Amino acid sequence: MRRIIACLLASLLVVPARAESVLRVAMTAGDIPIVIGQADQGYEGFRFVSYNLYDSLVAWDLASADRASGIVPGLALSWTPDPADSTRWILKLRAGVHWHDGTDFTADDVLWNFGRLMDPAAPQFNAGQFADAKTRLPDYKAIEKIDDHTVAIITKGPNAMLPYQLAFLLMVSPAQYNKVGSWEAFAKAPVGTGPYRFDRLVPRERLELVANTDYWNKARIPHQDRLVLYPMPEATTRAAALLSGQVNWIEAPAPDTIDKLRGSGFQIVTNAYPHIWSYELSFQENSPFRDIRVRRAANLAVDRAGLKELLGGMMIESYGNVTRDHPWYGKPSFEIKFDPDAARALMKQAGYDKQHPAKVKIAISTAGSGQMQPLPMNEFVQQNLNDVGFDVSFDVMDWNALIDLMRGTAIGPVARRNADVAMNFSRNTQDPFGAICRFIQTSQFGSSGSNWGGFSDPEIDRVCDAATHEFDPEKQSALFARAHAMMVDQAVMVWIAHDVNPRALSPKLHGFIQAKNWFQDLTPVSVDP
Amino acid sequence: MLRAAGLRLLAVIPIVLGVTMICFVLMFVAPGDPIQTLLPDNASPEVIALLRHHYGLDRPLPVQYLVWLGHLLQGDLGTSIGTGRPVAGELGAAIGNTAIIAIGAAIIGFSIGIGCGLLAGVHRGGWIDRIASAFALCGLSVPQYWLGIVLVILFSVTLNWLPAMGMGPRGLSWHWQELRNLVMPIATLSLIPAGIVTRITRDRVAELLRQDFVRTLRAQGLAGHAILRHVLKNAAPPILAVMGLQLGYLFGGSILVETVFNWPGVGFLMSNAILRRDQPMLQGTILVLALGFVFLNLLVDLLQSGIDPRMRRG
Amino acid sequence: MDVAAPPIGQARWPVVRRMARDPGVIGGMILLVVIVGAVLAAPLVTGFDPYRSSILLRLKPMLYRGHLLGTDELGRDMLARLLYGGRITLLVGFAPVLVASAIGGTLGLIAGYFGGGVNMAIMRVMDVFYAFPSVLLAVALSGALGGGVQNAVVALALVFIAPICRVAESATTEVRHLDFVAAARASGAGHGAILRVHVIGHMIGPVVVYASGLCSLSIVLAAGLSFLGLGVRPPEPDWGLMLSALRQAVYVAPVNAALPGVAIFLTSLAFNLVSDGLRDAMAVRS
Repeated sequence: MRRIIACLLASLLVVPARAESVLRVAMTAGDIPIVIGQADQGYEGFRFVSYNLYDSLVAWDLASADRASGIVPGLALSWTPDPADSTRWILKLRAGVHWHDGTDFTADDVLWNFGRLMDPAAPQFNAGQFADAKTRLPDYKAIEKIDDHTVAIITKGPNAMLPYQLAFLLMVSPAQYNKVGSWEAFAKAPVGTGPYRFDRLVPRERLELVANTDYWNKARIPHQDRLVLYPMPEATTRAAALLSGQVNWIEAPAPDTIDKLRGSGFQIVTNAYPHIWSYELSFQENSPFRDIRVRRAANLAVDRAGLKELLGGMMIESYGNVTRDHPWYGKPSFEIKFDPDAARALMKQAGYDKQHPAKVKIAISTAGSGQMQPLPMNEFVQQNLNDVGFDVSFDVMDWNALIDLMRGTAIGPVARRNADVAMNFSRNTQDPFGAICRFIQTSQFGSSGSNWGGFSDPEIDRVCDAATHEFDPEKQSALFARAHAMMVDQAVMVWIAHDVNPRALSPKLHGFIQAKNWFQDLTPVSVDP
Repeated sequence: MLRAAGLRLLAVIPIVLGVTMICFVLMFVAPGDPIQTLLPDNASPEVIALLRHHYGLDRPLPVQYLVWLGHLLQGDLGTSIGTGRPVAGELGAAIGNTAIIAIGAAIIGFSIGIGCGLLAGVHRGGWIDRIASAFALCGLSVPQYWLGIVLVILFSVTLNWLPAMGMGPRGLSWHWQELRNLVMPIATLSLIPAGIVTRITRDRVAELLRQDFVRTLRAQGLAGHAILRHVLKNAAPPILAVMGLQLGYLFGGSILVETVFNWPGVGFLMSNAILRRDQPMLQGTILVLALGFVFLNLLVDLLQSGIDPRMRRG
Repeated sequence: MDVAAPPIGQARWPVVRRMARDPGVIGGMILLVVIVGAVLAAPLVTGFDPYRSSILLRLKPMLYRGHLLGTDELGRDMLARLLYGGRITLLVGFAPVLVASAIGGTLGLIAGYFGGGVNMAIMRVMDVFYAFPSVLLAVALSGALGGGVQNAVVALALVFIAPICRVAESATTEVRHLDFVAAARASGAGHGAILRVHVIGHMIGPVVVYASGLCSLSIVLAAGLSFLGLGVRPPEPDWGLMLSALRQAVYVAPVNAALPGVAIFLTSLAFNLVSDGLRDAMAVRS
């Protein structure tokens, strides 16, 4: 008896170990993204896997919810164009950075990574990673080591966009690759420099990461012990998982569940981020959108506030490729607003009215990355357009088919067969070239560019050209803003919405700041027991 | 007996070959391309071409088929284009997860079916028969994906007794907290086999009870349960056949229920693979499921002829 | 089984008479007539436009301002969408069975009548299709063909051809060996005449019974494909599609979310009742 009491007393005296704090995130992806550097599953893979396990040379600025999110030093401390050679950038690397396995990060590691990403002859080359990296940095030519902490990157032509492009290339550990011998093996035990270390991965179920307490950026050492990522493609599933406490963070709750979640005490966080949900228009023979009056009319016809209501407030009205308060928005003279009368008048001038509507067929998808709620939203906009003298019909396809149509451009086989004169393909506008010029430069028309409809304007081409060759960040920003203002004046797209990336968080989470970016910093999030 | 089994196995070979061909052709009729979905929206044609070459997608179809078949013969199902992981590993885990609910549903569905069928068959025409038959009819008619949603509405949304979906954040274990995740998927899946087995059992039992040999047995004064044993033994082969088919359907048809409950099984794997046009993954999944079905049928045939020598075929 | 071939016309009426006495069949028939009638006469039953949406009227409960069954996630009238959607669902459910019966029945007839190598060739191909569980094959086929009404019909028809062919083949094989066929052949009748007069009459019964049983499965599968996003494309109303779209709203409007499934269930139930009655009535013959 005495012993039992002693035992009980002893057990009371033992201070229980602090419970591990775990951030459990339900992603929208259908599977765990690839973990060997460049992720798949769209930007969600980069957001949760790549930028947590790894670092890039240049990083995104994710610290603020208010300012437009730019780039900041990552594994590189600085980047400067070589004054003697405009195709050469000099990068100073950060000293004192360790890989998760304890080895030092050096210039050789960067060279090795560029081999893996860019050089088909390198033994560590990986085709899947190359395909992603090459797309991010198309005019890469070579890399040179200057000293242990300095490298030079050489491009095929002068490239002022390089810092932004480098932000997408992840550095993984050569030592670990050499130790395990293959990318399949590396995927089971990946090593990076990022704020989290790999713990374990169960395909289709979860990826577990643990805080890297030795992270080089002391301000970003995770405030939670463990980060678990679950793929949950169904919005209802995510909501149910959050409500039942299975997870404490969900991406993109369905608009209809937001009130319920809010009512149950969950935090709904939203913010603008570089995303557009618009109609990209065809400028080919068969398209009514060749007429600027028709394009402007369509922009004036869309009831963006009504659409916002449909989505329970979960969108921002779109008046351009970036929001109006963004430094790249510029000062267009054409003011986009909801004005159906003005739209009808413009349509009348162009020769269309209710009796003789402009017939347009728009390719849309049933679902897809960044497409928000494509069906109800498109049906809503369809009514808006039909009210001012359009006759909109949809060419509904699944996401893959729409990707096909997008890559094929407006004169591609898919678009021609279906006679589509517009498409609803959501885009990211993360960097200035990707936000603006890739949609409007004549040279971007074709299978490798994003000027889907074949828009062409010599003046815009000139401004874009100047912008991509301007190495002074401020002047460059001003040039992009000018290009954007011209794009709005030309009404190159029908701008409809920006997503706000809603997330629902358990009331036990604190410290999250939702940056105006596709990517987010999870490290400051603390979890109450 | 062994010879017959051997012959049947040989006969399966052309079917299997046909199945692989269908799997392969299916993937190439499909619109879209796995590479397209893999890459960012501004990937250049050169990059796409390089990747197509890397995955061997630029070779002529028959060559691709033979290469795939060659790997298959070595037990290699290939590597998923989507995840970069070997298909066999992914598939193994997924089939395990599906097996949990499929076998659970089979056990429950078959038990209910045999029980109800027996009762209904013995009391043919009575109210027990009517209730059991109505139950069986409903079980046959109900769309499973809808039943799943209704159960979620009842037990998760309204009553909040059971988790709505998924396997639980820690995976499965023998802990009630995790086992709760099984209740609704299994209940949903078990209804159709329960209905079908109820029917066949009832029909067979009722039919046998009317036959001469039963009357003779009864006249000989055999007790009720002894007669029932005779009847059951005679009723077993067709019931077994139906159960075998149903088990196959439970594996092959789990996609709808897995979608409703977000269950990480083969169905889930398949819809992902369709969505991403992940050819190796989809081919592998369909192939393994179809093969499993073929062999299950074979097994049932052999079992049947084991129980009932009259069923042996020349 | 009788040796002489009973004339077709006479054999059918007793079947109908027997079915008319079966309460299950009567119930099923009434249900079916109500559903099909309402679906065909949709404009008479409801004045609402199934495509007209309204943000203010989203997910309203039953009986809300004239919306008998409430509204869906876009504020469209549920009843109107169920009725107009029923046209598509019933079409996608029914058409494959018809197409498959025609194709599968013919193939089975040819295989059974000519036997030998022809039989081998046809039936071994069918065996391959038979090797897939139906849901799996339907999903795989429509996944490969891509969504849309047409492709869903083609996919489901392909699923049903093999089993129908088997039924037709075994029924035909049975007749082929009977005396009256041999007698007809001896008397010099051509294949066409023999098939028309003697064989089809025997084969058609089992095929019709089997096909009627497939109707229920076909409806459930067709809606299931739409539910998975592989069938009918929005904004077309379809029961499976509605179920899938409204699933997002289970927390807000559970009743509305469950309604399309009730329609699928009732239709499937009605088909099963009628098909059971047909089977019972026909089975008495042997």
